[in-house]
Amino acid sequence: MSDDGFLHLRGVASQYGKTQVLKDIDLSIGKGEFVALLGSSGCGKTTLLRVIAGFIAPSDGQVSVNGRDITRHQPDKRGMALVFQSYALWPHMTVAQNIGYGLKLRGVAREEIVRRVSEMSAMLGLSGLEGRKPLNLSGGQRQRVALGRALAIDPEILLLDEPLSNLDARIRLSVRHELRALQKRLGITAVHVTHDREEAMVMADRIVILDGGRIAQQGSPEEVYNRPASSFVAAFMGAENLLHLDGVRDGETFVLQPGAAGEGGSVPVAGRALASGGVEARFRPEAARIADIDMPATQLGVRFFGEVVAVTYPGGHWRHAVSVAGREIMADAERAFAPGQPVAVHVPAEALFLFNTPSGDPVSRPGFPLETVKIPA
Amino acid sequence: MSRRLLGLLLVLPALAVIALLFILPLIMSVVGAFQVDGTFGWGNFVKTFDLYTKDIVFTVVIVSLSTVLIGLASIAIGGYLTLGNNPVAVSILRFLYRWPMFIPFIVVGQLMRTFLSKNGMMNNTAVSLGLMTPLDTVSFLDWRGIVFAFVWKQTPFVALLVAGAMASLNRDTIEAARNLGASKLRVLFEIIVPQVAVTLTVGLILSFVTMMSVLSVPLMINAQTPTMLTADIAFRVNAYGDYGVANALGLISLVLASSVAWIYLRISLKERT
Repeated sequence: MSDDGFLHLRGVASQYGKTQVLKDIDLSIGKGEFVALLGSSGCGKTTLLRVIAGFIAPSDGQVSVNGRDITRHQPDKRGMALVFQSYALWPHMTVAQNIGYGLKLRGVAREEIVRRVSEMSAMLGLSGLEGRKPLNLSGGQRQRVALGRALAIDPEILLLDEPLSNLDARIRLSVRHELRALQKRLGITAVHVTHDREEAMVMADRIVILDGGRIAQQGSPEEVYNRPASSFVAAFMGAENLLHLDGVRDGETFVLQPGAAGEGGSVPVAGRALASGGVEARFRPEAARIADIDMPATQLGVRFFGEVVAVTYPGGHWRHAVSVAGREIMADAERAFAPGQPVAVHVPAEALFLFNTPSGDPVSRPGFPLETVKIPA
Repeated sequence: MSRRLLGLLLVLPALAVIALLFILPLIMSVVGAFQVDGTFGWGNFVKTFDLYTKDIVFTVVIVSLSTVLIGLASIAIGGYLTLGNNPVAVSILRFLYRWPMFIPFIVVGQLMRTFLSKNGMMNNTAVSLGLMTPLDTVSFLDWRGIVFAFVWKQTPFVALLVAGAMASLNRDTIEAARNLGASKLRVLFEIIVPQVAVTLTVGLILSFVTMMSVLSVPLMINAQTPTMLTADIAFRVNAYGDYGVANALGLISLVLASSVAWIYLRISLKERT
């Protein structure tokens, strides 16, 4: 996070009726930075964007741009332009009128508007469509008109409210890169709201994950992906597999006890604040590897034992649902294992995210016999 | 019996009602308008234009002016309901504005008589507030009274349609304009009104046609000359039993009303292509 923040949020809170939508949001965004606000629906990410845009007054806290307090400024006095999820194009205006409206409001001369509009159309690949009404455009074209309308007024900050969610999957992938390239080329500061983890990963310099109106974690895509700060972030970043284990901290090593789930093992603490007791272990299906149960472990990590429940082929590898200690987890393998087959699931140490359970109580019964897992003769 | 025949049989009662109660009288009126003492000719129209040219112009001006004012008032009401910041004021307005719609025209006429006359409520209030002396008071029971009554009575209807259309607009289109720096007035006239233009036009045309056919208001407020065509028709029939001229006047009203409908049809066709 840059200290010379350009857009600053300090202690921002927002209430809708009696519901606290945002709590204590502290965020500093550097000039030219692309920040993604990531979270599931209802986490407050759109509210936060609207607070920044000035459509919602925060119940507490301060928003400032370049050291200037703009908390109570009108939306148009903030040097920001918002691209709406629904695009919000004006159906009675042509593409050129839509893009040029912001300039018209600023009293820019007619010839200058025409020049700027054609510049925008050329940049966004809309040349030749200036005379059309939004109704006669494809989804991707509408999205670009919405972007052109926002960029035409040369805003310092571009706010994007899930601008890609209404595009079909294939176009979305190319627009991601176009949008990112455009933002880099213009050097504009961008705040992008999305619920799509991959979209946030490929587009943003920094990802801010929101949970229940608070910032759960912020950092570079690589950071939040590989070093999630909480069980929630890990799950949101794709580590959906969850097992409850017991562990003992031994200096810089965390020793997982053998239990119902598997044979245990030890992993480096690696700077994590782990204490002895019950832990939640999270990992991604693609980080786990399935092997025959009698194959010895070849790599460092932790092995879990279970039974294949179902197998699917999403492409590239086989994905298995495996029942481990009464929970179902997903894990990949290069070949298909038949349902009912007992297997070992190996998770490399660096791919296993451990978090102390809130209560800290041990989860398994001590001395749980390993034999409950069926091992073929 | 084939299904087709059954279908026709089912619409027959409705068709008969329209034919007997609407189309037949219409044809008879049209025929009657061109009949003078059993022979066909332009006599009724010559007489009508001799006697009532002023009233035709008066009617067109009154109804057109009222339509314009109704349009402005309903845009104002709908606009405030859509863009208003004060939730209390918005809900009070939302509750109040529909009331005149449920009051019959004749009652509106009576209300306006007590409100707008020389010593009516409006002038009395102005006098008691010291804004004018009793000597300066003027009766508004002339063309202004009719316009006042029409606007008061018809605005809620158009405002209801317009406010409904405004409420169903994508709010983002309003916020996008605010975000770019449009004032509320510009948002209203450049973003909102163009998007509800068709609804507004339909409402105004229906109002125009309704006002063309109101008899009680001109009779109660302005029973002098010039007056509106409906009052003239009633007078021709009641005082003279002169159905010929009454039919001619009716036909002229019909032409005026349908010319507005024609304008509307052209607009809606143009928008579709």
